[in-house]
Order: sequence, then structure tokens, then C-alpha cells
Amino acid sequence: MNCYLCDRTIPLQVTWRSIFFTEREEVICFQCQTEFERIETGCPICSAVGEEKCLDCCEWEKTEYAGLIDNGKSLYRYNPAMKEYLHRYKFLQDVVLSEVFAKQLKEELRGQKSVIVPIPMNENKLRQRTFSQVDRLLDAASIPYVHVLGKHEIGLGGKSKVERIALQDVFWWNGQPVPEKILLFDDLYTTGSTLRLAAKVLKEKGAKEIKTLTLIRA
Amino acid sequence: MKQVEEFLTGRIWLRHFIPFPKEQIDRAILNGSVTTRFGITDEKQCIRCLEHSLQKIVPFYCEACQQICHYCRHCIKMGRISSCTELITWALPSTNLLQSHSFNWTGNLTPLQQRASHEVQKSISQKNDHLIYAVCGAGKTELLFPPIFEALKIGLRICLAAPRTDVVLELTPRLRAAFPNTIIHSLYGNAPEELGFAQLVVTTTHQLYRFENAFDVMIVDEADAFPYSYDIALKRAVVKAKKKEAPIVYVSATPSTELLKQVAHVSKLFKRFHGYPLPIPKFQSLWRYDKTFAKGQLPKKLTVWVDEKIDKKEPFLLFFPTIELIEQAIDIFKRKYPALEAVYSQDADRKEKVMKLRQKEIPGLITSTILERGITIPNVQVAVIGADEAIFDAAALIQISGRVGRSSEYPDGEIIFFHNGITRQMDKAKKMIISYNGGL
Ligand SMILES: [Zn+2]
Ligand SMILES: [Zn+2]
Ligand SMILES: [Zn+2]
Ligand SMILES: [Zn+2]
Repeated sequence: MNCYLCDRTIPLQVTWRSIFFTEREEVICFQCQTEFERIETGCPICSAVGEEKCLDCCEWEKTEYAGLIDNGKSLYRYNPAMKEYLHRYKFLQDVVLSEVFAKQLKEELRGQKSVIVPIPMNENKLRQRTFSQVDRLLDAASIPYVHVLGKHEIGLGGKSKVERIALQDVFWWNGQPVPEKILLFDDLYTTGSTLRLAAKVLKEKGAKEIKTLTLIRA
Repeated sequence: MKQVEEFLTGRIWLRHFIPFPKEQIDRAILNGSVTTRFGITDEKQCIRCLEHSLQKIVPFYCEACQQICHYCRHCIKMGRISSCTELITWALPSTNLLQSHSFNWTGNLTPLQQRASHEVQKSISQKNDHLIYAVCGAGKTELLFPPIFEALKIGLRICLAAPRTDVVLELTPRLRAAFPNTIIHSLYGNAPEELGFAQLVVTTTHQLYRFENAFDVMIVDEADAFPYSYDIALKRAVVKAKKKEAPIVYVSATPSTELLKQVAHVSKLFKRFHGYPLPIPKFQSLWRYDKTFAKGQLPKKLTVWVDEKIDKKEPFLLFFPTIELIEQAIDIFKRKYPALEAVYSQDADRKEKVMKLRQKEIPGLITSTILERGITIPNVQVAVIGADEAIFDAAALIQISGRVGRSSEYPDGEIIFFHNGITRQMDKAKKMIISYNGGL
């Protein structure tokens, strides 16, 4: 098969594992894999560069959003290869690219005790994009999840942080039972407002512990 | 409506990305002047790029049409096409879109160019496919001017397609200068969108996907690999973009044997426009050069060659087989020759670096095969390092050799193949060049 990203043929790797287990075929080549930068250490909430809690997250702790996120993690840095990937996946709508990080997400979420709640998409936006990029990442990794939230059609982009924080009603509870332990999942962590707005609604509706996982830290 | 007609004639465009108000297009569809089709056929073929492989036409659950939809991965960069995407074309025969033209070119054709030019014109008028088999520097573009002008005058729509953006960017100003009254569109990835009807279109082969049944004359530049192209889809695009009866004029310095067999009408130009013969490549062994680089050293014979060029103040190009080797070698080179630069395909500063070489601000450039075509640097000297590597087939080596001696002030120059053993491809390249010069 050909690499989803560079279209070169991927040489078939025959290992003892591939003979005894039907592993998923690799969808991108080794060369393309090495282009992505895995985050080893970082802020315990958002994985920003550094060992300790980052300045941004400390700022959040001074607001009404303090303590909403118990801890969090992001898997990859937003380097040029990742920018290109996200552009192709989200903007060009190359749906199959949801499979690129399936293995890594599966490893990360294997044995997860919390209930996984993806950040939802607005209905209109969903019809426009024709697929939910967040759900599909989880689907590709065969990770079960539940939707507890709905989203209003308010674009976050282009607003200043203060304005964003004022957007109380971006997410609403959709009436499904709210689990006590939740892992909120999103594709991209930029300012952290999306996850905190969602976490606020969930905690108000009875969630006790909220962790976060994002694929990419911008 | 005139504007919509001008824009959409011969084109196949995503309905939702058309640069006209939605109401205008809706009306045009209602009154039948514009037709709409879904992007993927029932047989799972993309109607824009004609791709139909299972690898490239893939299913997904579509939230727009609430069912399983297929989309095309092959041409996705031009805006994704899926089963529920609508594409539109101008449905009616074109009315009066033709323009008047003038020809403003004062150069002279050599007798050889003149003859080829006539032959091309004849083939076009008889609707025969034609091949211009011309060595690098033979002046193939100029000889196309008169036939293009004749075709424009009788109202034919002409397309000049080249595989790479660089070539399109190089050809466009020359054509605009030669045909100052003609609307000429220049199309490549991320090109600014141009409205109006162009009777002459210069385009990358990729952008041809957006045309259908459009051209009366199709000129394919650098058609080396046709018909067995590295990308069969591009060949399909050429056929789809032209009208059924329209002749194809292939231009190539190294046509495949299949193409030579397939096209009956061939004009051969084995002489450069300045009349001097092509420089013949020299072979020079450079045993285990990769190991030398790996040890952080420069092969002795190579530094001797480079030193000589620097002494004589002659600009030079060093072609390397892989980007990995370039990255390794450039650091080692820079220790001895700090002014040297390297370029490869992803390099954003490519153009600036080539310009620096041309203006003698730097002595030389290390490059991948990306620079094999389309650049002219007066008095340039060329070395291929690892000429025995598979990437350097005879066609590539001939193209690279063609960089040397292009200008009439410096019709000669050195082309040297450093190798780890002489390959058949190297031999073939040398023999071909000698035969172009009238030897053998
Ligand atoms: Zn790849
Ligand atoms: Zn943080
Ligand atoms: Zn397509
Ligand atoms: Zn659909």
C-alpha cells in the first residue's frame, strides 16, 4: 500500500507479530512518521514546553476556570509536518487521515478508567465539513466514547482571550448522564479555552474528575 | 451571464467554489446554460481527474448527505470531490468568445527551427499528433510561436501544458510578450484566479483536471515519459482537456521509445540554436564517495574539480542522487567552501540561490535532480556525483548535461559524471548526446 501522506509505497514488514496477529497495516511510511514530534515532557495540564505548570495554565488558575482540569496531556507538537497533516485532514477533508494516529491513540487510551467525551461539533459545521474530525480519530483507534455535550454555533477563532472566556454558553449539556470521571478529548489544544468551557459545564452537571487529552499542542 | 460563460467554457468546476454569486449560477442551471454533475460516478470514478482505483476513491460516512459517500484522494488538493459534490460546466456551444491577436516577436528562427515550425503548423492544420524532438537549448519555445499565432488567428483554443510550475512561470511572460493582445491564462497550484476567456492557456498538467473538452490544440512540454507517464492520471487529463479531434504536439528532449513509435510526425532538432555541438560528458571514477562523505571528508578528485572551477571563476552545479547525501555533504563542503549553497525540492529559497549563482555571488550550488531542467546559467560547469545511481537514468543525465553550454557566449563547458562504476544508463546518455551532434 502507499503512504497516506507522501504516496510512496510502504515496504511490507513481515515480523513474527504480523504473522501471528492481524495487526493493522501501517498507513504512513517510516519517513513520514519521523516527521512528527512526540511530546515527552511538558506542562502537567497542557503539555506546553517546560517541566512545570506553564504560565498560561497558571493564569487560568486565577479565573473562575481554576481547578476544572485535574490533569491533561497532549501527544504531539504542532510542527510543520503536523500543520500540514491537520490542514489536509480538517481543511481538505481527507477523512482517511483519521487513521494516521490510530495506533498511538489506542496505546494512550488503552485501559482508560475515565469515560471518554469528545469535544462535539456544531451541527451546521458538521454538515459543512461532512465528518467530525475528533470522533473519527477515536473511531479509527476503536476507542468507545459518549457525547454528553452539544455546541452552539459560535466561532471561537478571531476572538481575544477575554472575549472567549466570556463565551459562557458555547457548550450545553445534551441530557445524557454525566459520568463522574471524564477524559475530555480534542484534536488541538490552542489556548485551552475550548476544553475549559466544556469542563465547566460538565463539572456543573456533576462530573467529579476531568482529565484532558489532545492530539496536538499548538 | 457572459462572464459565467467565459469562465466556465471548457471547464469543470466545483459548484460551491465558483467565483460568481450563487443566484447567478442557480439561474444558469435553471435555464440550461450550465449543467451540473455529481463528482464521483456510480462506477466510482472521479469525473474531474478520472481516477478510479480503490486506493484513491475511498468511502466514508458523509454527514452532508447522511449516507456512505466516496471521495477522490487523487485530486483532493484542488478541493475535495465526493459523491455528493456538484461540479458544473458550461453546457452550450460557445458563442463569439474569440479575440483579435497580434504577434510581436522580432527574433529569428534558424533554418532548422524554421523547418520544424512549418512541420508543426502543418500537423496542427491536418489534426495530426506531432513530436518536437529537440535537444536542450534548441530553441523549441520560439519555434512554437508561429504555429500558435496561426492557430489563434483562425479561432482555435490552445493549451500549453508543462509538468512543473517553474516551467509555466518561465513560459508565461515570454508568451505574453509575443502575443500582447491575447488573453493568456497562467495556471498552477495557488495561482491567482483569472476571469474571462483565455484563448491561450499555459498550465501545469495538474491544472488540466479542471478542463474538459476545451482545447483545439494541445501542446505538452517535457513529454518525456509519455505515454507511460509516472502518473497515468496526467495522461488522462491531457486527453480529457482537449477536444476529441484535437491534435497533441509533444515536446521532448528525451522521448520514450513508445512515444517515438506512437507519433508519426516528428521534427528533430539536434542542434542548439547557436549552432555549437552539445558538450559530451566525461566519466571519472569516484570510488566509495558515500563512505568518504560519511567519514566527514570530501573525495579528493571532487575537491580538485571544484578548486579548478573556483580558480577560473566559473559557476558550477553539483548534482547529488539523494537529499540525505546533500544534507550530509553540504556541511562538509561548507567547512572548506563557506560560500557554497545547497538547494533541494522543498527549499523555499531555491529561486534566490539560483539567482545568486547566476549573479556570481556564490561560486556553486549543490542540488538534487530538481534543478535538472529549466535553468540557464551562462558558462555553468556541471558535475554529477554518483552518476551510477538509479535516479540518474539516461534521460535525467541528458537533461543535466543540457544545462551546459546553452548561451552563445559560452557554447562549451564541462559536464562530468563522477561514478562508482559505469552504468548502461551513463553509456546510453553519452551515446545519445554524441548522436545528436551528428556522430555515430
Ligand atoms: Zn510517507
Ligand atoms: Zn499548561
Ligand atoms: Zn479526482
Ligand atoms: Zn456526501
